[in-house]
Amino acid sequence: MFFTYLRRELRRRRKAALVVASGLALGIALVIVVSSVSSGMSKAQDKVLQSLYGLSTDMTVTKAAAAPGSGGTERPRFEFDAKDDEDATQSTDRVMVQGFQTLASSTVGKVGKQDGVADAVGGLSLTVMKVDGQFKRGEFKQDGSAGQGGPGGGQDGGQPQGRVEGGGASFDVNSFTVYGTDVTQQDLGPLTSSKITKGRTFKAAETDAEVAIVDSAYAKEKSLAVGSTVTISGTAYTIVGISTADSGDAAANVYIPLEQAQTVADSKDKVTTVYVQAAGSQQIDTVKAAIQKNIPGTTVTTSADLADTVSGSLSTASDLAAGVGKWLSVTVLIAAFLVAGLLTSSAVSRRVREFGTLKALGWKSGRVTRQVIGEALVNGLMGGVLGIAVGVAGAYAVTAVSPTLTAQLGATGGGGGMGGGGPMGGGGPGRQTAAKTLDIALTAPVSLTTVLVAVGLAVAGGLVAGAFGGWRASRLRPADALRRVA
Amino acid sequence: MYQLKGVTKRYMRGKNPVDALAGVDLTIEDGGRLVIQGPTGGGKSTLLQMLGGLDRPTSGTIELDGVDLATLPESRLTKVRAESIGFVFQSFNLIPTLTAQENVETALVPLGLGAKARRERAAQALESVGLGDRPTHLPGEMSGGQQQRVAIARALVKRPKVLLADEPTGNLDESMRDEIMELLDGLWKEHGLTFVMVTHDSSLARKAPRVATIRKGRVTVTENAAV
Repeated sequence: MFFTYLRRELRRRRKAALVVASGLALGIALVIVVSSVSSGMSKAQDKVLQSLYGLSTDMTVTKAAAAPGSGGTERPRFEFDAKDDEDATQSTDRVMVQGFQTLASSTVGKVGKQDGVADAVGGLSLTVMKVDGQFKRGEFKQDGSAGQGGPGGGQDGGQPQGRVEGGGASFDVNSFTVYGTDVTQQDLGPLTSSKITKGRTFKAAETDAEVAIVDSAYAKEKSLAVGSTVTISGTAYTIVGISTADSGDAAANVYIPLEQAQTVADSKDKVTTVYVQAAGSQQIDTVKAAIQKNIPGTTVTTSADLADTVSGSLSTASDLAAGVGKWLSVTVLIAAFLVAGLLTSSAVSRRVREFGTLKALGWKSGRVTRQVIGEALVNGLMGGVLGIAVGVAGAYAVTAVSPTLTAQLGATGGGGGMGGGGPMGGGGPGRQTAAKTLDIALTAPVSLTTVLVAVGLAVAGGLVAGAFGGWRASRLRPADALRRVA
Repeated sequence: MYQLKGVTKRYMRGKNPVDALAGVDLTIEDGGRLVIQGPTGGGKSTLLQMLGGLDRPTSGTIELDGVDLATLPESRLTKVRAESIGFVFQSFNLIPTLTAQENVETALVPLGLGAKARRERAAQALESVGLGDRPTHLPGEMSGGQQQRVAIARALVKRPKVLLADEPTGNLDESMRDEIMELLDGLWKEHGLTFVMVTHDSSLARKAPRVATIRKGRVTVTENAAV
């Protein structure tokens, strides 16, 4: 009888049921879209951070920024020897440590010994500027009268008269980034945010081998492939693998073993960045504090610090989703709950005689209330199903359109030592944020949790509406049934 | 058997108290038939509500088989209504979305009968009021007389001791009125019910063995020896 009565009543009051269900559906759909977009934003931010840090890295340790004027800036110098062969191509390169700030390799060990640190690995970020080209010698052109000792002349002592014409220089400047990676610990650091798409990764034994992994974008630009070589400071490195960044830009164009990087940069036993993995996410702040306290002269930057420096449309959209989206959803939901409650309560008012009659027939108040709540609950669930369908469709549409968001990192240069950046506008991974701009395609993944929350909201909406109506129905006196028709 | 002693029901109309019932003393024997008459607003329906346990008096006692309905807890009063008292209303008060059979079944829901037993008893009840061929009709698809028959089937399906009818023919034309009264009289005799009916219709009152006339809350009972 409960379900028969419920079904018939909902059919009779289709329009009211549709209004209640639609209101709840709108609220629930908004919640799904907003939470999915927020989740997408969060993933986009994670991708941005991963492109810098690599997977599993909770924080980086870099050298504290030097005070202005304390010798923190150098300019690269290029020297070319004079050569007799005027057609000879001259080439020289300069290998610079990004940010010109390094830490002793022993810092890695010190960091690794701090409480709460699960793993620590060092890396050296370099910028290579390569200048290739040739000088063209100018030609001496003799004047027509020159060299002829004329009468009364002779002050030139017989030297030829004329000028140099033509000549000059044509040079191509090529700049790329190199990251020296600890091949014995490849599960931490920037290379983890890339996948080896051709060839292989480093072997643990290749600590000082002349081998390299090249980012696919750079390899394509320079027509490099597995087996070919890339030359850095006169050393030819055999390319053993091509890597592709999971998202955004790769951390470096070329990856070589750490010892090789230290050698070419003349930075023996130096690293620019220590990548740290905490034992647990709860311990990140504690570990940060411990490192800053126990290892002076360092700057510790966590993912959260870095996330604070994200700006651009990703940040704006994220703020919108977190602010306007959240409150809009909450407001619509509250409004939908209230409308559902008032409509249900109003429906009970119109059915006073009906409920009074049932009470006169011996129906308990609880049974009448359950009937009202049951109807409201079904209304809520219909709204939930409708809302989930609309919400999932909305989230799917966002993913299908995949609007591109731009993330700019570390423009502030504050707190966490971000924005160090050297003259090349870079800085190593972990400190190169001054110039890091990434384009991320926004997605709106709908998680099971979101769907469960939506179902919960639908049930809650139904219960709120049912509570309004049920409360009225339970207070109804059976005498009203007769009084209404007396 | 009903035994009412000093039943008073006082309402507040604005700031003024109004006694719908003023010290009513009344006895209704088991299987008896009583017609309540009186002017509009005289307290007829109020008295019927008291007899049906739908409302409680301000003072006095209303005993049904020795149980005082005036002081009975709500849950037990609900049980009394569910098991012992059948109601027939002037406007039928059928649930518009339920079929004739389902409407009759609503009276069996509080008794906790299974679906099959409910269906069987409802079908029998509809058969007894001459509507055995219309179990799936909705109230809106039936005439007033047919709807009142469904309401009577609903009142009797639980096999109550008491049948309370509030102007059961008030919304029916003359021929339908006679048909319904014939049905109610037949069922009263067949089931040995205690039958109390409120009516404005003097022709119906004349056919009743006892008539309670209620004016300004006071009841005068007259026996009709001719019936």
